[in-house]
Amino acid sequence: MWKKIRPYLYSAPSLIVIGLIILFPILYTGYISLTNMNIYHWFDYTLIGLANYKKALFVFDSGFIPALIRTLLWTMVNMALQVAIAFFIAVLLNTKGLRLKNLYKTFLMFPWAMPAYVSILLWRMGMYNTEFGLLNQLLGKLGLNGVSWLSGSSIAFISCLVVNLWMAFPFMIMTIDGALQSIDQSYYESAELEGAGFFSKMRHITIPSLSPIIMPAVIMTTFTTFKQFDIIYLMTQQKGSNTGANIHTVITYAYEKAFMTNNYGYSSAISIVIFILIIVFTMLTRGVNRKGRKI
Amino acid sequence: MTNKKKKNYIKLLLVNLFFIIICLACMIPILYAVSVSFNAENSFLSSDFSFIPRNFTLDNYKSVIFEKPFLLWLKNTSILAFCTVVLALAIGIPAAYSFSRHRLPGRNALLMILLMLNAFPTILSMFALYTLLKPMGLINSDAGLILIYTGTMTIFSLWNMKGYFDTIPEEIEEAGKIDGASNLQIIIKIIFPLAKPTIIVTAVMVLIYVWNEYIFAINFMTGADNYTLAAGLYALQATEYTRNWPIFSAASLMVSLPILIIFFLIQKQMQSGLTSGGVKG
Repeated sequence: MWKKIRPYLYSAPSLIVIGLIILFPILYTGYISLTNMNIYHWFDYTLIGLANYKKALFVFDSGFIPALIRTLLWTMVNMALQVAIAFFIAVLLNTKGLRLKNLYKTFLMFPWAMPAYVSILLWRMGMYNTEFGLLNQLLGKLGLNGVSWLSGSSIAFISCLVVNLWMAFPFMIMTIDGALQSIDQSYYESAELEGAGFFSKMRHITIPSLSPIIMPAVIMTTFTTFKQFDIIYLMTQQKGSNTGANIHTVITYAYEKAFMTNNYGYSSAISIVIFILIIVFTMLTRGVNRKGRKI
Repeated sequence: MTNKKKKNYIKLLLVNLFFIIICLACMIPILYAVSVSFNAENSFLSSDFSFIPRNFTLDNYKSVIFEKPFLLWLKNTSILAFCTVVLALAIGIPAAYSFSRHRLPGRNALLMILLMLNAFPTILSMFALYTLLKPMGLINSDAGLILIYTGTMTIFSLWNMKGYFDTIPEEIEEAGKIDGASNLQIIIKIIFPLAKPTIIVTAVMVLIYVWNEYIFAINFMTGADNYTLAAGLYALQATEYTRNWPIFSAASLMVSLPILIIFFLIQKQMQSGLTSGGVKG
């Protein structure tokens, strides 16, 4: 008897907390998404069916679809640059005879180790600030006019991109570095015997053996990038110090609709759409992951 | 020196040069903050800025510690972090153990569902959590934040530790059972020591999460006296940063230091602990 209950007893506290903190908000958000709860209907909100979803998905001007396109662009550009540059750096780290490798690695780890919001605020004030930011000081020394790094939409997008890359490189570099070391050196030796050059070795040995190993980490990072909130919010959209750039991603968009314009019904519908999108992506990538593990 | 050796030498020189530049570039935002924090007055507003502080001073650090409620925030954060880590492990370890060892019907489906649920961005749960915790009187209380933080990290902890428990062979436990040890004894005396690496990584991940979380800390706590370090720092930059950039830098660096130390201490485990946890399944 005792033995039968025990497993449930062990997992019950966890499942109760998950039920309260994770599951309840999702169900509640799903319910609110079907109502017109907003600043005018604070307590007397009513069910309005799928109207919020229609507004989000079919009214282009509502801003959700542009935000979604921007988020996809943000994710793709980030991931492409991140993997390509991290790969380049990791390969160089593995140059034969590089004695200071571990020292370099330690320095490269710093952006990962720093608390994310601290890094973001340091970038915002230390680097991008229009008056005393380092970048504009350097431009000033060169006799150039300062740039408002976070004001225009395109430049703000790029500025945020740089910060995200800066924060994300260490994990990707370490992952690729670890994967590089797991490749059997004898492949290279026999390739060298056959007279293969650097690029041929890269293309036929390094990249094919690397991709299955780093794929899980790449997929994980893709989701983190897609869900990235702090950078864009802290850089351009803080309450009271909005820089005027419109670079909403889906998450900051949903956040703004809920907490700045108080349109809870609509924001909830967007949250559910984001949730479904992520689940669909997860399902799709699980196949890739499985295939990767078999190799 | 042969030609090939010479070529190799130049190559290494270039690679080293490349890394020195890259490392510097990567450290600039942090080094700049360090430099500003040790500098007397806002001298970087003048044009003759340099990385090495002209007038070295510790005043900025002193004023963070004594003029701002920094120590109070540190105390709040430490209490929150400690309680959350203890609670997360207390509910996470038995659950992870149970999911790893007991083959209950629907176990794999439940694990998959949990992973799916984890995809919902926490930040979008804020309104619902407010609605839930308000009637319980858990808004503006440590207990409310501890509950939220624990809940947010539970699925990660569960998956991460379950993956590790799976690698501990069950035969070890069988031996304990034959010796007449109770189930609880087996967990405490046999599983705990073996699972130490994953427990440490999980604890540190929870700790870092709590240390760095600011959105809930700001929205669910009112009054600067109740702020955590992250919330306090956020408030500091939101209100008066233009005048207080050196003080902000000093505060940022002090907040980051404990995390930096812990991070580099367990760096190796972090890397493997992170990649293996989310992937196994």
